[in-house]
Amino acid sequence: MSRVSPLSQATLSLSRARYSLGPWARIAGLAVCALLTLGPVIWTVSTSLRTPADSFNLPPQIIPTHPSTAAYHGVFDQIDVWLLALNSTLVTALIAVGQMITAGLAGYAFARLDFRFKKPLFGLVLATMMVPLQVTIVPVFLVLKSMGLTDTLLGLIIPAFPTAFGTFLMRQYFLGMPKDLGEAAMLDGAGPWRIFRSVYAPLATPGLAIVGVLAFNYHWNEFFRPLILETSGQNYTLPLGLVSLQGNLGTGSISVVLAGVVLSMLPAVAVFLVGQRPLREGITSAGVNR
Amino acid sequence: MTNTQVSAVRPRAASAPGTVAERPSARERGTRLLAALFLAPTVVGIVVFTVVPIIGSVVLSLFHWNVIDSPGFAGTANYREVFTDSTVLVSFRNTLVFMVFAVAAQLLIALALALTLNGRMPTWLRSVFRSAFFFPLVLSAASISVVMKYLFNQDFGVINWLIGWFGIAPVPWLTSEHGALATVIIVYVWQQFGFSFLLFVGGLNNIPKEIHEAAALDGATGLRKHLSITLPLLSPTLLVASVVGIINALQVFEQPYVLTDGGPGDSTRTVVMVIYERAFEQLRFGEASAVGVLLFVLIMAVTAVQFRLSRRFVHYQ
Amino acid sequence: MTDSHLSRRALLRYGSYGAGAAALAGTAASWDRLTGNDIPGRNDGSLVVATLGSAFSPDGIRALVEGFRKLHPDIRVRINAVQAVDWSDFFAKILTQIAAGTAPDLVYVATEGVQLFARHLGVPLDRWAKRDAAELKEYFADVHPSLVESMMYEGSLYQLPIEFNAADMYLNTQVLKRAGADFPAADWTRDDFTALLRRMKKAGDSHFTPYFWTNRLWGGVVPWLFANGTNLLAESKAPGGAWLWDSFYPAAQRQGRGGGFRWTTPQATADRVAEAYDYLASLIQEDLCTRPEGGNGQNLIGVFSTGRVGVTPAGGFWAGGLHLAGLRDDGFDVQYFPRWRTRRHQFGAAGYALLRTSKKQDAAWEFIKYSARRDTLTRLFTTNQTTPARRSMLTGARYQETGPAHWRVFYDTLDTFPDTGPIPAPPQVAEVTQVLLKHTGTALASPRSVGPALRRMQGDLEKAMERDV
Repeated sequence: MSRVSPLSQATLSLSRARYSLGPWARIAGLAVCALLTLGPVIWTVSTSLRTPADSFNLPPQIIPTHPSTAAYHGVFDQIDVWLLALNSTLVTALIAVGQMITAGLAGYAFARLDFRFKKPLFGLVLATMMVPLQVTIVPVFLVLKSMGLTDTLLGLIIPAFPTAFGTFLMRQYFLGMPKDLGEAAMLDGAGPWRIFRSVYAPLATPGLAIVGVLAFNYHWNEFFRPLILETSGQNYTLPLGLVSLQGNLGTGSISVVLAGVVLSMLPAVAVFLVGQRPLREGITSAGVNR
Repeated sequence: MTNTQVSAVRPRAASAPGTVAERPSARERGTRLLAALFLAPTVVGIVVFTVVPIIGSVVLSLFHWNVIDSPGFAGTANYREVFTDSTVLVSFRNTLVFMVFAVAAQLLIALALALTLNGRMPTWLRSVFRSAFFFPLVLSAASISVVMKYLFNQDFGVINWLIGWFGIAPVPWLTSEHGALATVIIVYVWQQFGFSFLLFVGGLNNIPKEIHEAAALDGATGLRKHLSITLPLLSPTLLVASVVGIINALQVFEQPYVLTDGGPGDSTRTVVMVIYERAFEQLRFGEASAVGVLLFVLIMAVTAVQFRLSRRFVHYQ
Repeated sequence: MTDSHLSRRALLRYGSYGAGAAALAGTAASWDRLTGNDIPGRNDGSLVVATLGSAFSPDGIRALVEGFRKLHPDIRVRINAVQAVDWSDFFAKILTQIAAGTAPDLVYVATEGVQLFARHLGVPLDRWAKRDAAELKEYFADVHPSLVESMMYEGSLYQLPIEFNAADMYLNTQVLKRAGADFPAADWTRDDFTALLRRMKKAGDSHFTPYFWTNRLWGGVVPWLFANGTNLLAESKAPGGAWLWDSFYPAAQRQGRGGGFRWTTPQATADRVAEAYDYLASLIQEDLCTRPEGGNGQNLIGVFSTGRVGVTPAGGFWAGGLHLAGLRDDGFDVQYFPRWRTRRHQFGAAGYALLRTSKKQDAAWEFIKYSARRDTLTRLFTTNQTTPARRSMLTGARYQETGPAHWRVFYDTLDTFPDTGPIPAPPQVAEVTQVLLKHTGTALASPRSVGPALRRMQGDLEKAMERDV
């Protein structure tokens, strides 16, 4: 959005009025909402540090009276955390890199190159957002089978390379760059590749970071595709492995289940802390520049 | 929005007038080749892993297939079957009800919080709040639903204990028909509102400071001003938030699957759950595909209606 | 300034080259991981055995493989522990593997799937069982015929049961003490049960609910149906099976045995079924019982071990679970399900099914025999996470550490009540289960909804049973 000065003039003179119980009530209200939002997470962490016998105490003890890491030992005893984490890391990292490449290239083409069928092609890309995974998983499975990729991590990775949202974001991002840069280079006789290579691509790093963080966040937590596509225990990702902590007929200890949840949450939280800004900007920019 | 974009995507427009015919065409060919190369990974991927599978689904919906035996042609039998199956019909109703309430709640909460956060407060506090509201988004829906199932338990859960403080009798959150759908909506909104929230924060940041402050100064009582000034300016963001929100809500799966397994009765069974159950539990892949095709059509229709409506209500400056 | 700008750009560029190279190297190094080629036995013609991931511990699986290798060094075997939230989920994954052309040779199958697999995918074990009859004598002598019969379909044997769980009643001894109630007698009735719940309720606080159960096929409504002398689907027995009974069981034990169960006509609207639902509804009305939750019984172990629940139906698998949750061996005990019209209990059992598609059927049979050996089962079931199918394995020593004191109840449920039978699981089990859970949820969600819900259940069951899966 650019300038809207006449409107702003009007509103500026309109207000200045009540500034009464403003800030404090507002901050208190936000604090309550923040507490409600984080409450379940706090409860999860604290319950994972309690012994199973204390897990259902009411009132819940937020600070465990007898803190115990037994549940975490339980997780490591019951599942091969390291193998699962390796698989999750490989899958997530390669998907993130792959999406940065596909989305970066396609986003640039949609934003800055001129070609036939651009609009319908872009529409096609966006329309894939509307296709529920569950609708296509069986045919996808058959396609992977014909490629010999069923029950491999690659079978999880390759189909995730094209990304509608990532392409959309990168298109927005390239559209947001000043177009005179490219025009200047063109007047200097640079071809389309040179313009991309030396003018726009170097500026795209932050945008690509957004795509990468979003991909990580989504695929680290992904449950449905691995559930259907990976059948060997050695190929499971963390979210799948955690299921077995619930035990046969639900005999698993709640503390251990929650310790597993906390463990799997850690990398996502780390990425959240490091990548909060790109992630936020990514989501933000999706709604803003057009 | 539109003017800058159109000229931006035509780099050749700047040099085209008056130049010799061969050069632009060489450049054009170069551009097209580059575009083809750049689009290839995405388009090939989409064709192989989305378009072909969709066609596959449509074909599959015309067959009876249980994986074990070879498929047999069914014509429209699967569609007739699902149109008379009360579980399928109820699941469509549930999904639409879910969509309306979940998206409305998500947008309202997100908007209210974004507007409130926009008021005057220390920067660090604002970023703490922003992180808090955003946090649930990084968690896995399946894990968080496991946690919520404990919290919402009627007899032993923390939530009924909390509301007991206010003298409210225990609520059968997950075990009564209306309660269960409401609970699934609550859990879903809890995790998802952060997305719309960030969209709105971004949208508000892009509204010129003066308007912004003027509206914020009025605080809560300036609701009318928000409605008449901020909202129209936010309407493009609102469109994106509602389109993405609706597309996601129509595909809800993890929360009801873990929290209630669709029950009690069919009260929380969503369309995607039905697809999963038909295909992977009951091995009726033809019927599952038929339901999937119907869902796909529904999502397209809802999105199309939204864009149609947006022409009237969304104000680009 | 230009310099620093340039050098930063150069730095960025080299940095990204470096990152790219590292990514490539990493991908190359992990290529075998990405393609699954590092999984031992993946493509080398090993005998592949699929088990439910949560059923055995990693140590148990290791012991299973090593033991087999010692016995049959010539047969390579690979255990594929398939992760799934419940049996229907597990079967779905196996079927996906079959669709992918990577079918295992053997699949661990519980009662829920015995007939589904037998009908569509399995191979009868009859000829091998006859051939190795001498070797198997000891096994059958140690395993109750009810368990064996539950693994038969239309006259043929499809699996050797290695574990089972019958629904008995677990009681929290602290709660009993608080209520001043005695441990119930073995021949307690439904009315004794109700009276005990009332007494517990009176002595408990507002966060206490005497009876808790989970809405599922095993251990949900079905035990009450059995106790009331009825079933969800009319039950009969297939002819045949004499070949097995005559060669392995004494006359007294083979009385009335046949060629496996047949579950056919739905009878959800039968008076006795309605009676059972009315009874559960009345418990809920009186606040003596929780409304049944869908899904698995994850809340259960926490609320039972902390005394928020007094009584719940469970099998031998729970002894290990409660022990893990920190309950002392004297903190709980187990008794038979209360008598109503009958004393019939329900159980589920499990063993390995051999798939028709297997090209290593003889080797697979060796594994089946191996899996049912006493020493194998002893190595596998170390934590009382289930009830071994072999009577001789249920000893005081086994339950000394975990409890319960009345551990004999687990196997006596079979021995004392020979009509105790498997949960109803026809080949259409997936749909039957869904219909049962769905309408049970509605029937008990609000007062006076039992009748209409059962009528709808009947209609849906009829439709489900008409289907040839």
